[in-house]
Amino acid sequence: MTVMDLLKKIFLVEILKGMAVTLKQFFTPAVTRQYPKEKREPFIGSRGLHALVRDSNSGKEKCVGCGLCAAMCPSECIHIYTSEGDDNEKVVDRYEIDLLRCVFCGLCVEACPYAALVQTEHFEYSGYTRAEFYYTKDRLLENWDKYMAGDKGRKYIDLFWRPRSSDFEKKSKSEQDRSKA
Amino acid sequence: MIDDNMNDRSEGVDLLSKELTLNMGPQHPATHGVLRLVLDLDGETVKKITPYVGYLHRGVEKLAENRNYMQILPLTDRLDYISAMSNNIGYCTAVEKTFGIELTERTEYIRTIVGEMSRIANHLLWLATHALDIGAMTVFLYCFRERESILDLFEKLCGARLTTTYTRIGGLKNDASPEWLEQVYKFTDDFPSRVEQYETLIDQNRIWLRRTKGIGYISPEDAINWGLTGPVLRGSGVNYDVRKTQPYGVYDKVKWEVQTAQNGDIYDRYRVRMEEFRQSNSIIRQCIEQIPEGPIISDAHKYVLPPKDRVLNDMESLIHHFVLITKGPLTAPKGEIYVATEVPKGELGFHIVSDGEGRPYRMRVRSPSFVHVSALPKICQGELVADVIANIGSIDIVLGECDR
Repeated sequence: MTVMDLLKKIFLVEILKGMAVTLKQFFTPAVTRQYPKEKREPFIGSRGLHALVRDSNSGKEKCVGCGLCAAMCPSECIHIYTSEGDDNEKVVDRYEIDLLRCVFCGLCVEACPYAALVQTEHFEYSGYTRAEFYYTKDRLLENWDKYMAGDKGRKYIDLFWRPRSSDFEKKSKSEQDRSKA
Repeated sequence: MIDDNMNDRSEGVDLLSKELTLNMGPQHPATHGVLRLVLDLDGETVKKITPYVGYLHRGVEKLAENRNYMQILPLTDRLDYISAMSNNIGYCTAVEKTFGIELTERTEYIRTIVGEMSRIANHLLWLATHALDIGAMTVFLYCFRERESILDLFEKLCGARLTTTYTRIGGLKNDASPEWLEQVYKFTDDFPSRVEQYETLIDQNRIWLRRTKGIGYISPEDAINWGLTGPVLRGSGVNYDVRKTQPYGVYDKVKWEVQTAQNGDIYDRYRVRMEEFRQSNSIIRQCIEQIPEGPIISDAHKYVLPPKDRVLNDMESLIHHFVLITKGPLTAPKGEIYVATEVPKGELGFHIVSDGEGRPYRMRVRSPSFVHVSALPKICQGELVADVIANIGSIDIVLGECDR
């Protein structure tokens, strides 16, 4: 052991160095947020509470009751009941999501062929009963009015209702170069 | 729990020299989940450890047999929930190999980026909790600061922080925007200096060294024989990394090195992981610099959901869409495949048996945590009871993956 090592050992150099790092933190702004008081806006596309898209023309849901979201759902939490209405049209009687079973994977949104179901960015919901987490069609449409109405919903569908043809068509740069040569 | 046998007392056996059986867990903060260990102690020395696993068993492998290939993806998030992104990639790679889907270049790059980000996030959580177990509390707070920014980036990319479900069979959920890539690049600018901070705090700290150096030794031969992988194996000096031996993604197109250490103790496993921070950081940087433009999802409509605008206008696409979702891919090739990927904890393998239907006939997960837990008795044998916690930390297990 050299003298230097001995001195380092006696004067706790490595511990003081560590302390210097922590001391520095006293003078930097805090990175923590006091959550219920300070909230960070969720990012666009955050997978939160579901909403059924309301058709602005008819004022009713866009959903046609094809049942693809229910078929895709890995936790089987979507229940759809349909019946035959006037003009032999399929009518969605009940559209229900059992939120306590949902794993928020977002596959239902991807499965929907009509862009009739979205996931809003809202994530703060709590309750005392199970019934509060059983979302019926009316409550899901309400969610759309509350969290996604207007431009926001359109923007969401533009960005996250995937895949599109444009996802497949964009040629990679290298491929283009190759085709030129 | 003292095995209190009345007979022993009546026969006049010296109670002080009796071996003690101690139950640890499953509800113990330092077992990283619900691991239960039964320790046979002779004084403070560990004679034998018996791990009992299965407290977090959810039957992922069985559930997978009743879901089509796309629906299994959210299940893989919940294997190793600390680095869900790596599991997604591992599963999708396995299924794509089964189906023979070619990935686009951009997909490969983005997958590599998020895979390495999840490696950093995993090692950060490992360092934080491991240091906390050993007694260095400050590091915990520092690590979580950086982990938070990675999770935020994940949320920006795919909408969820932990259970990401980002990859899709044949591609990705959505493209990474240039702004996102820029933010990741900015993160990689700062990150090496943060790693230095952690090292200043604990690397030379005498308490840290006393608790880690020379403890939990496993020889290279034993490490191989027990099937250890990942940083635990590399800490023993074995140069093995699935990313190098069977490259997937773009690991063969970027410059990086497999990090190994020689001593095979807790400190060396820690060193390997610290070096992997830097390697991952440089892989991410290189990927962002090289990333090409292009599609993010493959064109194989028999296996990949067709474009949404075509679904609305084209009958054939609509049929593909309905069949894929309700039944899964109907033309899946028959056969068996085992595909391994290097997740932060080691080698995660998916063994898929396909009988040509839309769902796997059998899916077996080779999870590194399960193998590492089985080696715990070997690592802990003959050591002090106080080091059991340090050993559990150093093999980096997550019980969600171990019990599946």
